[in-house]
Amino acid sequence: MISKKRGAALLLLIWCLLLAGCQAQPSRTAAPVSLDSIPPYSGEPYIALNDNEPTFLPGEMTANSYEVYSPLDSLGRCGEASACVGTDLMPTEERGSIGQVKPTGWQTVKYDCVDGKYLYNRCHLIGYQLSGENANKQNLITGTRYLNVEGMLPFENLVADYVKETENHVLYRVTPIYSGDDLVASGVTMEAKSVEDNGDGVSFNVYVYNVQPGVEIDYATGESWLEGEERPAAGGEEAAYILNTNSKKFHLPTCSGASGMKEENRQESAASREDLIAQGYEPCGTCKP
Amino acid sequence: MILISCIDDRGGMLYNHRRQSQDRLLRQDLLSEVGDRPIWLSPYSLGQFACSPENLRPADDFPERAAAGEFCFFEDRDPAPWLDRAETIILYRWNRRYPADLYFPLPLTGWTLARQMEFPGSSHERITKEVYIR
Repeated sequence: MISKKRGAALLLLIWCLLLAGCQAQPSRTAAPVSLDSIPPYSGEPYIALNDNEPTFLPGEMTANSYEVYSPLDSLGRCGEASACVGTDLMPTEERGSIGQVKPTGWQTVKYDCVDGKYLYNRCHLIGYQLSGENANKQNLITGTRYLNVEGMLPFENLVADYVKETENHVLYRVTPIYSGDDLVASGVTMEAKSVEDNGDGVSFNVYVYNVQPGVEIDYATGESWLEGEERPAAGGEEAAYILNTNSKKFHLPTCSGASGMKEENRQESAASREDLIAQGYEPCGTCKP
Repeated sequence: MILISCIDDRGGMLYNHRRQSQDRLLRQDLLSEVGDRPIWLSPYSLGQFACSPENLRPADDFPERAAAGEFCFFEDRDPAPWLDRAETIILYRWNRRYPADLYFPLPLTGWTLARQMEFPGSSHERITKEVYIR
């Protein structure tokens, strides 16, 4: 026999479960985009898919904020990330460090022709300004500076500013597209649809190229070289130094201080000694890099 | 015609038939600039003015209807064919990058920047207003 108090608690539990069940969550993953249907990059950072119409189903439309990330696959790669972006999901503080995450295919490599020099950025699938997600491995891919800044950021800005201005919600889905077992995505699809006005404010479905003009990329490994030059011998560029982002010391890769470092503080860098010192790092007193 | 548009860092105005952005305080500034004079705009643009002052004049052929000295708000129409008729151009800059497939015809060759001011928007950190005259 159930006491009145226990009965009330049980009813409350059932009510909570029912309420949770009513909050729509992504019930499916988007149909994968075939790279065969994507034209080669021709100078524009993104192209429209499906006449720029997102493919969310009516049952997915919800005004309850959420964010869902796919588990990493057997190769350690990110999959689809989706969210219903509302003001309550957006960050209230500055972004923290994400340098400790090494997405598949990650290489620390610099080119003079790249804005900011570094070819690769740790690209958020759901942008930090939308979800406040920091160093979530399921939300960070190896993306070129061009993908990050010219391709994805304008769409993230559009969604973020719409949500902030209207306090409406936007369904949002980003899917990295890989060729076979490649470790670096060829591009990402981005879909968004505003909820309360049924897409009147925000609606798009695009493919964004993970390319960097002037640089050739081997998507299987992440290795890269300047366009028109010979591909370097296999092995790629080794990190020159290991940084401790907490102590602000930098070490040689062979230093015992580097091997004993906490993973969350460790970051590889191909930057020069002078660059690191200019960034506020000090050389380790043991290995004297 | 006093031509008004909102643009992003690359002169973008519209993407996929939708305005790139909107801001309550920008609308307030725009209506304050217009005062009691008529402002012509598309039926789409009218949609962002929740309370519609009497001087808002929506029309499909709104650029053709704007007389000298009257305001004309371009959001979803290419302003290029109408620049010759404009006496003044007011540009609001979002100071952000958005996707775009309709662009304002920049640079404004033959125009002089007569006035510039910045103000915080309701959802934009900094909006720049520029007034150009011939």
